[in-house]
Amino acid sequence: MAQSSNKGTATFIRQRVTGALNIPLIGFFVWLIVSLQGADRAQMVATFSNPVVWLLMLALLGSALVHMRIGMNEIIEDYIHTPALHNLARLANTIFTVAVGAVAAISVLVLAFGG
Amino acid sequence: MAELILDKRSRPKKGKVWPRPEGATNVREYQVYRYDPDTQENPRIDTYFVDLDDCGPMILDALLWIKNNVDPTLTLRRSCREGICGSCAMNIDGANTLACTRGMDEVSAGPVKVYPLPHMPVVKDLVPDLSTFYEQHKSIEPWLQTKSPTPDTEWLQSREDRAKLDGLYECILCACCSTSCPSYWWNGEKYLGPAVLLQAYRWLIDSRDEATSERLDNLEDTFKLYRCHTIMNCTKVCPKGLNPAKAIAEIKKMMVERKVA
Repeated sequence: MAQSSNKGTATFIRQRVTGALNIPLIGFFVWLIVSLQGADRAQMVATFSNPVVWLLMLALLGSALVHMRIGMNEIIEDYIHTPALHNLARLANTIFTVAVGAVAAISVLVLAFGG
Repeated sequence: MAELILDKRSRPKKGKVWPRPEGATNVREYQVYRYDPDTQENPRIDTYFVDLDDCGPMILDALLWIKNNVDPTLTLRRSCREGICGSCAMNIDGANTLACTRGMDEVSAGPVKVYPLPHMPVVKDLVPDLSTFYEQHKSIEPWLQTKSPTPDTEWLQSREDRAKLDGLYECILCACCSTSCPSYWWNGEKYLGPAVLLQAYRWLIDSRDEATSERLDNLEDTFKLYRCHTIMNCTKVCPKGLNPAKAIAEIKKMMVERKVA
């Protein structure tokens, strides 16, 4: 039989698992935003210093960003066929994901521990 | 980048308007894609008028009426004229189907627009080049593969196992599904497409076949299988009422089960 890359299933599983996780985690995030409406920084720090809140926020960041990266890679696979541009786009997607994740995670941890 | 628009040489232009049949009172307009590779001209859309009182009820009847009575150069594939051979697959009124089983009365009012199957190279007029499609079908090795000693009689199968092939073996490989799939449009050389994947599943689920692991290995690929985004055009257009999208989902399920087992 023809050669296959033997890749794809692990990504498919990750995409489905993070997609399912995102439903409750984004529900929690929406609830958190609504509950913090009008809150000042002290109230925000008090809320985020709760381990349940910052752990769930980090879980949301991890799950949503992994899902986002897979989704963008799917679009790149579909439409960008020039090898050099394809690889560049995938690299840019990874760098963007890591950068957004790092800034967001640091922000959550600063609120949780830094005050 | 994927080619999202046709290049200038492939864009159809307004073509010839053929005369109405003399004395006919019950006439329907047909707009048909024409392309002759022997000329340097762009494809064109010719307009024909079909005398419905002198013609059968199906789109294929009308195309053959045009070929016999108006323009013998109109080129199309056809054979069985009853939805078994898949030869007359084309794009009619904006959807892929078989010209022989699509009635004229099923096409909304106004001109009947007939094009070849989309996103395939055109050999001539309504005849697409399906070489890649057939190569892809060949690549999944669509025949029974066994390792056990061959029995004296036939390979037996329970009624329940035989029933698993229903909805799969009926595929006539007309390519309506694959050529209606946007993922196949953009990655047709690497993505196997719904028709071939449905056939792949037909052999994966066959209780007599003993090459399941090798077949799954062959399909485990970012492009071959995982370009399916469950768009469902394949299932919508299948002229045999089959569900290639479900077959693809079943393959993905088998892949996941194998991975996590």
